[in-house]
Amino acid sequence: MMRAAPSPEEVRRHNLGTLLRHIHLRGSASRAELAEGMGLNRSTIMALTSELTAAGVVREELPRSTGRRAGRPSLVVRPESTRVYVLAFQIGVHRLVAARVGLGGVILDRRETTRPRGPFDPDEIVGVLASFTRQLVRRADPDAVCVGAGAAFSGMVRSSDGMVRYGPNIGAVDVSLGEMLSRRLGLGLTVAIANNANLGALAEHRRGVGVGCQNLLYLHADVGVGGGIIVGGRLLEGADGYGGEVGHMVVNPAGRRCGCGSRGCLEAEVGELALLAHAGREDAVAELGGREAVQAVLEAADRGDSAAREALHRVGDWLGLGVANLVNVFNPEMVIFGGTLRDIYLGAAAQVRSRLATGAMAASRERVRLRTAELGEDTTLVGAAELAFSEVLNDPLEVLARLRTGAAAGRPLRDRSGSRV
Amino acid sequence: MAKARQWEPLDEMSVTPVLDLRGVDKSFGPVQVLHGAALSAYAGEVTALVGDNGAGKSTLIKCLGGMLPMDGGEYLFEGRPVRVGSPREAAALGIEIVHQDLALCENLDVVQNMFLGRERRSGMVLDEAAMEEMAARTLTGLSVRTIKSVRQPISSLSGGQRQSVAIARAMLWDSKVVVLDEPTSALGVAQSRQVLEVVRRLADRGRAVVLVSHNMNDVFAVADRICVMFLGRTVAQVRASDVTHAQVVELITSGRSGDGVEAGRPVPVHGRGTGPGGGAGRG
Repeated sequence: MMRAAPSPEEVRRHNLGTLLRHIHLRGSASRAELAEGMGLNRSTIMALTSELTAAGVVREELPRSTGRRAGRPSLVVRPESTRVYVLAFQIGVHRLVAARVGLGGVILDRRETTRPRGPFDPDEIVGVLASFTRQLVRRADPDAVCVGAGAAFSGMVRSSDGMVRYGPNIGAVDVSLGEMLSRRLGLGLTVAIANNANLGALAEHRRGVGVGCQNLLYLHADVGVGGGIIVGGRLLEGADGYGGEVGHMVVNPAGRRCGCGSRGCLEAEVGELALLAHAGREDAVAELGGREAVQAVLEAADRGDSAAREALHRVGDWLGLGVANLVNVFNPEMVIFGGTLRDIYLGAAAQVRSRLATGAMAASRERVRLRTAELGEDTTLVGAAELAFSEVLNDPLEVLARLRTGAAAGRPLRDRSGSRV
Repeated sequence: MAKARQWEPLDEMSVTPVLDLRGVDKSFGPVQVLHGAALSAYAGEVTALVGDNGAGKSTLIKCLGGMLPMDGGEYLFEGRPVRVGSPREAAALGIEIVHQDLALCENLDVVQNMFLGRERRSGMVLDEAAMEEMAARTLTGLSVRTIKSVRQPISSLSGGQRQSVAIARAMLWDSKVVVLDEPTSALGVAQSRQVLEVVRRLADRGRAVVLVSHNMNDVFAVADRICVMFLGRTVAQVRASDVTHAQVVELITSGRSGDGVEAGRPVPVHGRGTGPGGGAGRG
């Protein structure tokens, strides 16, 4: 922010956004804490919180337990989680999830289904998600307002227009899924769409194990393996938004064929299919579904099944090699394993870390922490919600005013009237 | 904007271990069980204590927890020499030991177990609401999501959930050092995963955690440091990021690492007869 003299209006908008973001990410806070956290005086904070309260995005309350401090207690500012929400979607190879996520990141309601294997049919996917959305919106408070929608997609998504360029395991090429979904939902909102692992990185960085880490790698596996890289606190997107595809880093040129057409990609060596093939259980996917098939291998390995154990160790070795390369290149503070890699890492940590110890340079690896995703199964969904919230957090009053007018004009955004004070 | 959590630097040159045992000797009658054993544990880190059966891990933990008197050696807590003559004195310093049997009461609920013997009162009566909220908040803080109600009796919980409650109890009491004795030994894959994640979070929330384990995979999954014991001696205290599985196994089974070298960096092997110096080695 090195621009000369921002206008008072810009300053106010910036402060409103910063305050709301603070409440959204860190939860309820007293006015005194906000004043300290934002470096503003208490009267400014009061002016900002009253504007946000009037807009119905936060409410102010007396703290629950006053403690034994003398004097009038500072009011606590809480997010209006049930009144201000977004729609978050997760479009995976196996699974479709739709959720209503309230301000503050609370998952209020969700619907999910497993996607049958078979050709990618965008109309079918959009249809399922639209019907979930209708159910979710119907169950929302009558005075609640939907302020955005975001989707996490397991494939490459162009950042400029949300065009799905390629989903190797889902079979999608050049589909404007974001646009189709926006039109079909008919909520007057644009559905923002991005790569699932990139959103997972964002979610863990903002709300998970990576809070406070400015440089981290997030590795996510469902069928394929994706990655999200945060450098200096920002997501590395690359020129068009395809950055971080660590799953297609070649680790074994003589290795297994990858869905992308190459050979020996990290995904081909550590993905679900590799684990199941090494364990001699290729058929298990059809019977159990992907995640359960992976779980079954892990359990067999734990019971001492030598084929399962060998498969897990082999996958762990390749994963460690991939991580070692990434640690050398990015010098991250943390590497986070999400999706089924969470289980694979915990089951093959000895292999992963041994490879890291020998493959990464000591200076790069000595401070790196290996962690599993704290948001568990919901990492990418939470990331989609964060994407959906970004507009309202940048300019809360303008966005709300626009949406509420839209609602008054008859759009199916449920909002009774203006504000409640 | 203030960050919710800050990561502490791992550089031990500038960090005093919370717990530092040096040159610990212990004999039972004519049998000397510990010969100058050492163990350091740092805030925010998991230190794995590994070794074969009979290597002296349990005896060292008992000395640490005040259940057995040390015959010789130094016991430093936050850099100051202390005498720990009983479990009560260890608890007063902030050392909590979660034994394999967990010491939970089956017939009591989660809240009652977490506050057992340390119930919070409001005037004459127990402050149930406050205790319930604190218990729930502690479990949430460790991202324990599988326990539906803190009013469930312990008898209705799975092994992994019980272990999580026992760990949360240590978290609730603001212990500085938490020692976990084989926390995953009796658990299946899913339950172990849950417990390992809780162990990691306990350290990430600032505790010094000592994990006693036979499972090398669990050790590599969560440990920052590995302390290896062999026949009553501490043969290595190394960073987990500096060693391979094979090296640790070799240290456990033979007391030394054959190559002693990986990637050009020697693995510190504080071998036979190491005295108090067997402390925080670094590659």
